[in-house]
Parts: sequence; C-alpha cells; structure tokens
Amino acid sequence: MVNIDNIRGVAHQKVELASIDDFPGPYCMSFGFDLGPLVRSLEGAGLLNPPLLTGDENGRFTIVAGYRRIKALKQMKVDTATCRIIPVNEIPPAECLLMNLYDNLAVRELNPVEKGMALTRLNCWFSTEEIVDQYMALLGLPPNRATLSSYLRFEEKMEIQAKEAVALGRLSFRNAMLLADLDPVSRSALVDLMSNLKFTISQQAHIIDYVTDLALIEGETIPEVLSDSRVRAIVGDSLMNKPQKGRRLISYLRRRRMPRLSKAEKDFRKVVADLNLDKMVRIEHSPFFESPFYRLEVLFRDGQSLREKLEKLMSEDLEKIGDPWKDNGRGD
Amino acid sequence: MAGGIKKIVVEQGAERFPSTGAILLSVGDVPVSRARGQMQDMVQGTNTDMGKDTLHLLSYAGEFLKPCPGTRNYICCGYLILNVGTNCPLDCSYCILQAYFNLPNLRVHVNLEQEIDRVFEAIDREPEKIFRVGTGEFTDSLALDPVTGWSGIIVERFSMRKNTVLELKTKTANTRALLESTCRDRIIVSWSLNSPFICATEEHGAAALKKRLEAARECRAAGFTLGFHFDPMIPHRDWKDGYRRTVDLLDRYIEPGGIIWISMGSFRFMPALKPIIRRRHRDTCVLDGEFIKGLDGKMRYFKPIRIELYSFLRELLSQWHPDMGLYLCMESHEVWLESMSWSPETTEGLCGYLDQRVRKFFDLCG
Ligand code: SF4
Repeated sequence: MVNIDNIRGVAHQKVELASIDDFPGPYCMSFGFDLGPLVRSLEGAGLLNPPLLTGDENGRFTIVAGYRRIKALKQMKVDTATCRIIPVNEIPPAECLLMNLYDNLAVRELNPVEKGMALTRLNCWFSTEEIVDQYMALLGLPPNRATLSSYLRFEEKMEIQAKEAVALGRLSFRNAMLLADLDPVSRSALVDLMSNLKFTISQQAHIIDYVTDLALIEGETIPEVLSDSRVRAIVGDSLMNKPQKGRRLISYLRRRRMPRLSKAEKDFRKVVADLNLDKMVRIEHSPFFESPFYRLEVLFRDGQSLREKLEKLMSEDLEKIGDPWKDNGRGD
Repeated sequence: MAGGIKKIVVEQGAERFPSTGAILLSVGDVPVSRARGQMQDMVQGTNTDMGKDTLHLLSYAGEFLKPCPGTRNYICCGYLILNVGTNCPLDCSYCILQAYFNLPNLRVHVNLEQEIDRVFEAIDREPEKIFRVGTGEFTDSLALDPVTGWSGIIVERFSMRKNTVLELKTKTANTRALLESTCRDRIIVSWSLNSPFICATEEHGAAALKKRLEAARECRAAGFTLGFHFDPMIPHRDWKDGYRRTVDLLDRYIEPGGIIWISMGSFRFMPALKPIIRRRHRDTCVLDGEFIKGLDGKMRYFKPIRIELYSFLRELLSQWHPDMGLYLCMESHEVWLESMSWSPETTEGLCGYLDQRVRKFFDLCG
C-alpha cells in the first residue's frame, strides 16, 4: 500500500525539463493518448498539479507520476516546470509504482496496452499471487493467471504498431493475442490491414484465422497472401467504403479457405433463387448445413394471403431443395 | 518410457499409497520433489511442453468412473472412463488433452488400487447393465504402463466382473505386462490406427503403425479380444491411398474374427485447441481441412467431407470382413445413414448395438 505520508512533505522545485527522462520508465503506464486537451488545459490554467519525480546522483530525473503532463509541457517547448522531487532512495520503487497506478486509476480507465504495462511493472515487485489477488480486479481484469500471462506476453512481444492499433480500438486485445505467435513481418502486415480497413471484433478474428490458415495451407507467407491481386483490388477499390471492403475481403478469404462449404452455400442459393419464391417467403439452410433441417419462413397478412402464398409455393419444384452436395433430382 | 521421465513430483498425501513406492522403484534414478497440496496451475499459453517429462503422483479426490464426455446432438457410444490419470507421454498434434487440462505433468492417480472397490460397488449395483469401461480417454492406456503398472492393478479385477468389459486403448506396443497376465475374459486391447502418413507425422512418440499391428497380433495370439479405432480420421493429400494401405496392413497382420469393434471418427476439437496446436505443432496438417462449428460447439469437418471419409473406410473394412462391429464416434443420425447405410438413431441405440457385440464375444453370465 502507498504510504501517503511519504510524499506529503516532498519539496517543490523548478526542474529543467531536459533533465527528465522522456520514456515511461519503471513507474509510468501511459500509452496511446492524445496530448491535445492536456496542452490546451496547461496553456489556459497552467500546471496546477506538479508532477512527482525521483532524482539520481547525476542530476537526472525519472517520472513517478505526471508522465503525460511532462510530455505535454515538452511539446509546448517549455524549458522548466515546478515538480515535486522525492529524494534519492527515500521511497521504495514498488511504492513509487503504486503511486503512479493509483494516480492514473483515480482519473481514468487504462487501455489494454496500459494494463499490460502496469502488470509488467507490478510483476517486477510483487508475486504472481499478489498481482492476481490484489491488482487484476483493480485493473478491471478477471483475476486469474491465464489473463495475467496474456497481458505480460502482449507487453513483451508486441511492437508499437500493434500496441497502437489496440490502444486506438482498431484491433481487440484478444485478437491481437492471436498474432502473438506470428513473426513480426506477418504481424505487421495483418495489423496494417486492421488499421486501414474497419472490422468488427468477430471480423478481425475471422480475417486472422483465414489468412494464417491460407498461408500455412498454400505454403505462402502472410504478406504474400495479403498481396494477392484480388485482395489488393478489394482494398484499393475506391467505390467501396471501409466496412464494405472489410465484408468483401472476408467473403473472398472465406471462399478461398472453405471452398466446399462456399460452393454448397452458393449452389443452395441458386436452387432457392430458381424457385421464384414470393418476396415474403424465405427458405434457409442451417448454419454450415450441419443440422438436417431447412427453414421456411412465410410472412402473411391473413389466412387468405397465407393460402395464396402456400399454394404458389406448392406449385414450385420443391424437390430440388436438399443438401446441395447431393443430386436432389436436379440431374446435374 | 521411464527413460523419458526426467522428474517426479510426489504430492502431499500420495506417499502413503503402495503404488507410489512401486513407481519410484521402477523409475530408478530420477530426481524426486515433494509438492505441498495441489501444484500451481499451468499458465495457459506459456507452458508448451505440458510437463510430459514429469511424472506427478497424487491421490485423486474426484470420481474414478465417469461417463465419456459425450456431446449433445450427436450419437455417443456410452462408454465409461476409468480415470487412472491424466495427460500422456505421447504427443499427438491433434490431442484434445492439450486444451482440456490446465494442470500440467503426467498425473498418476496412485490411490487407484484403493478406490477401485468403490467403482465396482457402483457396477455391482446394476448387474443387468453392461458396463463398457476404458482408460484411454484422458491418457493412453498403456503408454505409462511399464512405470505405473496400471494394467496389473485393474485387469484381473475387471476380468472377474461379469457385466463389465475393460478396453485398453493405445498407440504403443507396451503389452508386456498384459501378456504376462492370465486374464482374458472381458478384456479388450485396442489400437488407434490412422493412415501411415498421419501416424508418422502427427502421432509423435507413438509406435509405428507396423509395431502397433505386431503388438495387436501378439495379443490376439495370446487370446485377447481386439478393437481398433480410426479416430481421428484426417483428410490429407492421398488420404484414400493412405487409409487403404492401413487396411491392407490390418489384413496382413490381423485375423478379423477376433475384432469386437472398429470405430471411426473424424477430427473434432474445441475452438480453443486451435491456437494451442498452432503453437505446439508448427508443421501440422491436422488443421488444414474445412472445419465448421458443429451443433455441440466443437469444430468438425463440413458434413459431406465426414461422410466421404467414413463411406470410403467403411467400404474397405466391409470388404475385408462383413461383421466388424463398425460404428461411428460422435456422429449424427444423418451422417450414420449416409455413410453406414443404417443408423442406431440414438445414443441408447448405439449402446444397444455395442452391448450386443460384447455379448457376442464374451460370456457375461459367468
Ligand atoms: S495417445 Fe491419445 S492421449 Fe496420448 S497424446 Fe496421443 S491423442 Fe493424446
């Protein structure tokens, strides 16, 4: 637990910003943020809450809390700022880390990348049991080892590009973890695609699944699968918006990955289309044709219209409906 | 097998069982450590070897006899699992145990000998019912037998039960202890078979196909009833030729009259297994097929592919011998009809069919 008395009497001091280390360091956990609002606030009201730093013997400072404020001040080309300085070795590093964590959690929810940073830093000072029992729920995560392991792995393995895609919500954390075992070039190619087009979370998972499978089955690399002429044509099609391109791409990759299922679905659609059904009548197969049953849906206003629709339906060549990989009396 | 074991963990409470001492003696000079209580669970996704070199001796507190984790919407064989241990020293790329267990190591339930009487109490409560029991669901039945002596503990006692058959299912040739026993009644030794290509490339650590069949022939010659399981069937390049070669080998090694049943199943798995297989078996072909999500949530081949696999093999096996006790594992009524030309319709129907096979092969009245 943080001992608040430790920082109550910490001295305020003007510090040259050039002497403050510019990266998150051992205590900070901020990633993928927009400095704009903070810069505007600092320009308007000044630095109301001085950052907390710890210094070393060489006169350099490490940020304990206030990383984003320091970044914003640097962006504003400010030379010095008033900071609170913790004397060397006065507060144990684990406590500095917790100060940052609570400082952040008091005002916002961490994004998945920041959660990975937080857990990685906690992992240096606390046992797995302590992290699982005391800190995972605090971060809004299920308190178990598997989740902890995923976040540690994410922080360790992912490049900045993938982390940005996750922080900005273009790639879900769960789907990003599907990329963890790929080589960096393949990962980058997929992250690029996710960042350029717009996919739902389940579409992201399908794309990753199809592309990685196709690469392995067809003996190509993932960048090769993604630079296929059809894929490039879809991605570069200026007549479609991003979600349309996403859907078209998934449907193309699915046909390539699941040729027999795709053919069966297409053949079934053709049989139904050839039946010349009323617009209010639909005939559908079960997902993947796994159930033996087909589904008929009829929308009607009253008994009379139902009778008419059913009579029209009965006059169609219904025997042709059936598992499309069988003959079903089509003779083809 | 003992050569593959590099560590032994003895959980608190396991020391007092005679099996623990016997196992420690049989493995010889392997470092032993003690564990207080349950070992930490494996952090999913990071431990890739699953502790296959660590023998973990524990006193198991759960049920020893459980129904096979069948699956809804498909016809199940109604098999019962005798839970002698979990995990397996072999390393088949398609093994579902890779996703089932969050506990690593080759876990041996050393209180089996003490608990087995309770199993028999349950069996004896229903003398009219035929119990088909196996140990090969959460591990290979014989892979650890030279170390654990499982067959020595259970074969004789099961053999004395009139309403129960025990099936030991394996991909090894570890039959020595079995052959040394004198029990044959209601004991079935069965082998999982596949195409030579799948056996050689996906069933890591398993005996070569011919070795399995040699072991089966030896068991048959010694009076054991045999079973075979083509599960999981996997379509791969030239798969028809591959499965034909396996049936040819069966014909060369085995006299079909001694086979109580042959099952066929195609590869199916929980979706969570896929990334694990990709991570642990980079060159595998078992994920190449067209998988769809089945009615039970598991991934399985698109229906016409399954029908094609079973129809092809059924044809070959029926040509070899007309009365093989062929059955499908976890399939739908429609797939049964399409590929076998008949269907047991329900799980009860399939259980009845397999019970009939048991009656045909064994004396159940004493
Ligand atoms: S023999 Fe069976 S239990 Fe052992 S690894 Fe292979 S599939 Fe799994």
